[in-house]
Amino acid sequence: MTFQWLLAWRYLMGRKQRTILTTLAIVFGVLVIFGMNTFMPTFVKAFQTQVMAAAGQVDVTLTHKIGEAFDPSVLEKVRAVDGVEVAAGSLERVINLPADYFDRDPNAVDRISAVVLKGIDPEVARQMIAYNIVEGRFLEPGDTHAAVITRSLAREVGVQLGGTLSLPTAIGVVDLKVVGILPERMMPGNEEVLVTLSEAQQLLNMPGKINIIDANLNTMDEARRAEIQQRIIEAVGSNYKVGALESGSEILTNIRNAQMIFNLMGFLALLMGGFIIFNTFRTIVAERRRDIGMLRALGASRSTIRWMILAEGLIQGIVGTAAGLVLGYVFGYLILQLIVPIGQQYLNIKVGAPEVSPSLVVTSIILGVGVTVLAGLLPAQSASRVTPLEALRPSVGGVSFRRIAGFSFWAGVVLLALAAGILVSRQAALLGLGAILMSVALILMAPALINPIANLFGYLLALIFARNGTAQLAEGNLSRQPGRATVTASTTMIAMAVVVMMASVLTSLSLTFVNIMEKSLGSDYLLMPPTLAVWGSNTGAAPDLAQKLREIPGVALVSTLRFAGSQIKDVAVGVLGIDPQAYRQLDGLTFTSGDPDSAFTALEQERAIIVNGVLSSAAGIHLGDEVTLVTPTGEQTYRVVGIATDYLNAKTTTGYISQKNIAADFGRDEDVFYQINLKPGADRAEVEAAFTRLLKNYPQFKLLNGKAYVEENRKMFDAVFFSMYAMAAFLAIPSLIAMVNTLAIGVLERTREIGMLRAVGATRRQVRTVILSEALILSAIGTAFGILAGLYMGYMAVKTFEALGFPMTYIFPASGILSTVAIGIIFGALAAMAPARQATRLDVVEALRYE
Amino acid sequence: MESMVVTENLTKVYGKGETAVTALKGINLSIGQGEFVAVMGPSGCGKSTLLYLIGGLDRPTEGKVYLDGQELSTLTDNQVTEIRRRKMGFVFQFYNLIPVLSALENAALPMILDGVPVARAHERARLWLERVGLSDRLDHRPAELSGGQQQRVAIARALAHEPLIILADEPTGNLDSRAGDEIATLLRQISSEWGRTILMVTHDPRIAAYADRIVFLKDGKIVDQTHLNGNAQEDTRTVREKMEVL
Repeated sequence: MTFQWLLAWRYLMGRKQRTILTTLAIVFGVLVIFGMNTFMPTFVKAFQTQVMAAAGQVDVTLTHKIGEAFDPSVLEKVRAVDGVEVAAGSLERVINLPADYFDRDPNAVDRISAVVLKGIDPEVARQMIAYNIVEGRFLEPGDTHAAVITRSLAREVGVQLGGTLSLPTAIGVVDLKVVGILPERMMPGNEEVLVTLSEAQQLLNMPGKINIIDANLNTMDEARRAEIQQRIIEAVGSNYKVGALESGSEILTNIRNAQMIFNLMGFLALLMGGFIIFNTFRTIVAERRRDIGMLRALGASRSTIRWMILAEGLIQGIVGTAAGLVLGYVFGYLILQLIVPIGQQYLNIKVGAPEVSPSLVVTSIILGVGVTVLAGLLPAQSASRVTPLEALRPSVGGVSFRRIAGFSFWAGVVLLALAAGILVSRQAALLGLGAILMSVALILMAPALINPIANLFGYLLALIFARNGTAQLAEGNLSRQPGRATVTASTTMIAMAVVVMMASVLTSLSLTFVNIMEKSLGSDYLLMPPTLAVWGSNTGAAPDLAQKLREIPGVALVSTLRFAGSQIKDVAVGVLGIDPQAYRQLDGLTFTSGDPDSAFTALEQERAIIVNGVLSSAAGIHLGDEVTLVTPTGEQTYRVVGIATDYLNAKTTTGYISQKNIAADFGRDEDVFYQINLKPGADRAEVEAAFTRLLKNYPQFKLLNGKAYVEENRKMFDAVFFSMYAMAAFLAIPSLIAMVNTLAIGVLERTREIGMLRAVGATRRQVRTVILSEALILSAIGTAFGILAGLYMGYMAVKTFEALGFPMTYIFPASGILSTVAIGIIFGALAAMAPARQATRLDVVEALRYE
Repeated sequence: MESMVVTENLTKVYGKGETAVTALKGINLSIGQGEFVAVMGPSGCGKSTLLYLIGGLDRPTEGKVYLDGQELSTLTDNQVTEIRRRKMGFVFQFYNLIPVLSALENAALPMILDGVPVARAHERARLWLERVGLSDRLDHRPAELSGGQQQRVAIARALAHEPLIILADEPTGNLDSRAGDEIATLLRQISSEWGRTILMVTHDPRIAAYADRIVFLKDGKIVDQTHLNGNAQEDTRTVREKMEVL
């Protein structure tokens, strides 16, 4: 066994460049899969930590299923349950703080970006949790504008006992006097600010409501506790659930989808890596036929030879995977650093270091090493079949290629037909299958098509290099070895298909999104809360702020959004309350189904809802359906009057109802987002000054110029799209390696022929042209196939997004195809460089003597 | 003299039907232990085919090959492989050294393949490399050696594991005449001093003249056999005359 490893190692070291290039293919695949999976869970975890209330010390936490506030009478039902020792109701909300709220220093990182305002009943709460006051006193029932905070929060914001803590609330900025200090907070999550329940109800504009019930049970027995928990649920009804408050579950789904897409990309990268290894090993076996034959003659058994090739694969797989793991971690870390600012700005979460789970490491290793070994199996098998005689008189393996080509061609046709069937059926779930079928079909058909296509391109090249008369030679060389040409062209095909697919999706996505964005946010000014889309964690403002805004001279229109969480058919839904008339004027919704006029009218007159695309597909809702919304007061039936999407909520399951209805059914009248239009000819400077004065008391809102915001977003989009394009192009690099390999071995095999060409008077330049033509024909075939496969996959992907509810229009990726063709030609030429030099430098006499 | 190799009615046909080519027709040959036999003949006469069949590299269409009393055609591929590994040593025209291994490692290869501990394999390989005059080239890779030196490594490789027979296929075919003579002298020495059996295929009368006996092949049949008397010039002349007749 050690002998195989030694030989494998020596051979690998003997061809350092090729070894590095091949290993790189594995590194890349592992990097994508591992890297993506280290930072995604970290991101998700950070998100969860932020949205989950720290329920730590109590036995049972009860909330409304949709996270909304409810009537304190529920508390009595819980207290009445046998086994409940004590139960307390509280009202708590995350208050997202604007940037630099406490430190007022734009350069320093904000250490406190959100706090939890928790309104408690001071007497009952102390029975539940042993609050260990280290300084001052605990809250007392009659307290007003008094708060108890932890020592860590006090230190971070620089207040002391008796000092003042200012917080943005629904009724403006409120000053709270710190009456007591708790020990340092040890748990992750947001710092808490404790106030009395009545105070919290006032500050959050939710009079007479609570949203959490904490209960302690009278037993430690697990079975008995579960039983009591069950009884509590029975007592309060199915609209309540045990567990902490969760907001933003809509966004989590999105993050998981993104993770899936990245995994798919990583898998494609690995697949390509597998192809390259396969190709390299075929090359290796072809190059070493004589060595292998000699080993066999000397008495190496078939399995010794097989293991020798597999050992090489294993070494490359292990080294490549190890490097991929390390680089993947670095990659994940860098991405996280990139995400941190975005996370802070849009989701208000803090993200830590990438996280590595043992199962992820194991999966990555299995995939990385597995693909390499798998790719090496066939070549190893064919190496073991090399007979000792080949050492003595090497011959070209004369397999009846025609028969194989014929069979695989027809198998390919069948798969192609299936893929086309999937396209026609428009089943989004079959996207992956269709993509695989399409690629396999093209790979299968390739051997039979190589000759005609090589002929065609050979003819074209003959025209270009007319005076050399060498293109035919190149074409002939390819037709002679259609198998190897197929593998190389296939690698190029997959690479190019990925580029074209990404181009299709990105072109369609970016154009559609920019359109919707301009439409949704096209107003003159926006008042933005700290987080977008995760509306539930924002502190808004009571209706009088909107009223005051309307009163500012020069303001023509103020449209606001109000938010409540709900559920339709167990799908979490963000319900947005809009003023139908004002919102209609902004024209922010892009309708895919239903008529805007009648929809907005219906919104005003009845319990009607407009759902967005993501929601309609997630819950299977159609125009005209009646849907049941879970509300704090029970279930309500709404009629679906339109399917339409706006920019901010395009990716989350959202429904739009009138502000009248959100007040009646959800008890919400707090505005979380404002869009403002000015009258023609209004003095912008003056209006802006008035806004700024008014907003001094509402620091949770950021005043933005609508047009500037759209522009800023477009730039962000462009950056994201550019990086994705770069990644797609990166994916194409491995195909370059494959082409170099194929050409290099071609030159080796034809050493004598090239010597002959030179001997009969071909110039170095002509020899170089032969190699270059060969490379160009190969990459042309690969690129042509890649464009076909890519267009198919791109179209399917766009349709899938559409089916998932994203408003998308398929746009033919003309520029993507142009750049693919350019990449193909450049890669072809690049791949030819080294082998061409090798060929032109051949010594004529030596080459003629070469066997 | 005991026979090391015996062939019975050895026949090899390549291809089928109309394109069939008969390379060997009923060869009956016996090679004694310690004998140095050269096979000569015009190209296409089947001399290489004979060597491959005796070496177990190819299977006969008809007839049998006995090596040290054991019949090869009844054995499986793995069994033949093992016999090649333990009982035969090969020397090829193009040396066929593994480019990534040093001279020492190349010479030790058959023993390593046979599972001999590395230290012992290297020790034996070193001994034979010294005998063929390469004691100062042990760590050189093939690319750093001349053609003659590479062939010496190949010969050391063929001998180091103490095989029963050495099969050499045009061992001097790729060398200039001086290097060729050196290799032939070495083979002669291997036979007479160390008592190894050698079967060598060559088309060069001067090289063939180093052998004890020459077998002449034509169109797949043995047409003549000559025992030589050890006088190089005389022997060469005899061989040349016989070749001209063929």
